[in-house]
Amino acid sequence: MSKSNNFGAGVPGLFRKLRQASTFNIFMILLGMCLIMTFAAGNKFLSVSNITSVVRQFSFYAIMSIGMVLVILTGGIDLSVGSVFAFSGVISCMAIMRWGVPVIPSVLLGILAGAVFGLLNGLCITKLQLPPFIATLGTMSIARGLSYGITGGYPIGGLPDSFKFIGLGSILDIPTPIIWMILLALLFSVFLRFTVRGRWVYAIGGNEEAARISGVKVNQTKCLVYMFSGMMAAVAGIATAARLGVGQSTAGSGYEMDAIAGVIIGGASVSGGYGNIIGPIMGAAIMGVLRNGLVLLDVSAYWQQAVIGVVIIIAVSFDKLQHDRKSASISVSK
Amino acid sequence: MRKLICLALAALLMLSLVPALAEEITIAVVPKSLDNAIFLDAKTAAEEVGKELGVKIQWEGSTTSDAAQQVNVIESLIERQVNGILISCNDADALKDVIDRAVDAGIFVGIFDSDSPDSKRAFYCGTDNYAIGKLSAEYMMEFLPQGGKVAILTGVLGAPNLEMRITGFKETLAAANSPIEVLPVQTGQDDVQKSVEVVNQYTAANPDLAGWFFDGGWPYFADPDALTELAAFVEKGGKIVSIDTFHPMGQFIPLGMVDVLIGQDYFAMGRIGVETLYKLIKGEEADLGVTNDKVKNYIDTGYEVVTIKNYEEVWANKKPW
Repeated sequence: MSKSNNFGAGVPGLFRKLRQASTFNIFMILLGMCLIMTFAAGNKFLSVSNITSVVRQFSFYAIMSIGMVLVILTGGIDLSVGSVFAFSGVISCMAIMRWGVPVIPSVLLGILAGAVFGLLNGLCITKLQLPPFIATLGTMSIARGLSYGITGGYPIGGLPDSFKFIGLGSILDIPTPIIWMILLALLFSVFLRFTVRGRWVYAIGGNEEAARISGVKVNQTKCLVYMFSGMMAAVAGIATAARLGVGQSTAGSGYEMDAIAGVIIGGASVSGGYGNIIGPIMGAAIMGVLRNGLVLLDVSAYWQQAVIGVVIIIAVSFDKLQHDRKSASISVSK
Repeated sequence: MRKLICLALAALLMLSLVPALAEEITIAVVPKSLDNAIFLDAKTAAEEVGKELGVKIQWEGSTTSDAAQQVNVIESLIERQVNGILISCNDADALKDVIDRAVDAGIFVGIFDSDSPDSKRAFYCGTDNYAIGKLSAEYMMEFLPQGGKVAILTGVLGAPNLEMRITGFKETLAAANSPIEVLPVQTGQDDVQKSVEVVNQYTAANPDLAGWFFDGGWPYFADPDALTELAAFVEKGGKIVSIDTFHPMGQFIPLGMVDVLIGQDYFAMGRIGVETLYKLIKGEEADLGVTNDKVKNYIDTGYEVVTIKNYEEVWANKKPW
């Protein structure tokens, strides 16, 4: 029941489905947090500059979470995203500053690097039959090591404005990273809901063997989602390098946990088969609002981590309770 | 196939050992981790002085700041019988035993940057972190004689060197009865992006903020364009004192986005560390610094203070990253 595919049907009844989906609870939690913050911090929180800053900040994590949720939907995990984040950023910056490659091909090169790491993950998992945890743990180390190796540990700065625009600019007053996040979310929502491959992603997470027997190309689909995850990590890493104006081999350390947390808070099931694209974005937003709130409310850094942990547990428990209640009422009404 | 791979790996391993045997004196320099750019100046200095003295310098370390991994690195150096080890410890107690074992195996061990005072190490060369925190507070009091709110940005919570700087900063303000109000400490967790976001958000949220004390230079590894709130802050007369004087940070001085940079001298740590070890290995007389009731054989590598006045002169002598 809890593993039922909420998005198996088409557009009709979409609203009803949305209300039934965990996204609705998560949205309410986010809204509640924003209300609390508005009362507690007032204009500090609601100012346009603060809201823009929060959304821009969490958009980098949200982009990684979009890739991560695809992997988690198949019942996998991708620990390499933090390192691929650094590697792709570094590759793009090296291409521009050291190898004299123009900006757009450099960015594409960075994304390609992410795709290659994703494919490597996929091949290790499907061909070598390695558990996703181990395979991506290995590539996490490889990507990080290569980043140190090619830069010697030095940050790469002095990047041109055309590159910095990717993370620092804005279009119609909307910061560019937010635009990338929205575009990618739309793209992958369409992929999950309206393409055969997208349905296969759910099918694999629901029951891999059953999916295989019914003709789902399991290995191919898995390789594809890991490639998407690598590419999303690359986009986030390149956008961050552009936002900071510096490519660093140390960037994104530990960000895999932020990406995974975003997905789980967003209501996806760790064992696969259940979740959507909006959830992780809400999850990343909750983390972003929470971090911002602690800063605005002058909470000492020494206590912040503990508060974040408590709020995450409360939010996920609330979501789970609501979800179980709904599932129960649905089965009763049946 | 598997046999072939094993053979190739064994051959590689042997090859990596050959140079170690061929050189006369080998000194291994072990930073806290390979992923921390602050050690790069120490690496450059160690390699320079190594060339001058005809010593082979091996730059080795764990990929992350982890005491257990660092213990493994030291154990492998003992196996390879290097002549000297210069190390920055991730944890004073966790490294003590393995340092003692290295010393017992006839290896001279010196420590730079971060000490393990109870070990059998020959000397420790590094910065007096309390002193640079104190100096930062003195500058802040000079900038804000009327007082005001001052925020602190730190890195990984609990790191002994950073905590000492904060303590030095706060205690000096308290001792002077300064009207400066210190706000709760904020952290960027040693991450440039997180530091930039925290500084921007906190500055925007506190329009009455008068000063920032960065106990490490993380925000200044980003491009000036990324620090919009900070630029507005200094325009309104806000004051900033920051630790560290690494090359990318220099551009913020002429921009007026930092008033004082106080830097640890990693060049001196690398140079003095290797030179002192070389003398000990050769059996020559070496200056092992001061010993008192607090520390044993401590060589103070001092610090450099950079403001707009001496910026050009200091940066002219820094190697670009």
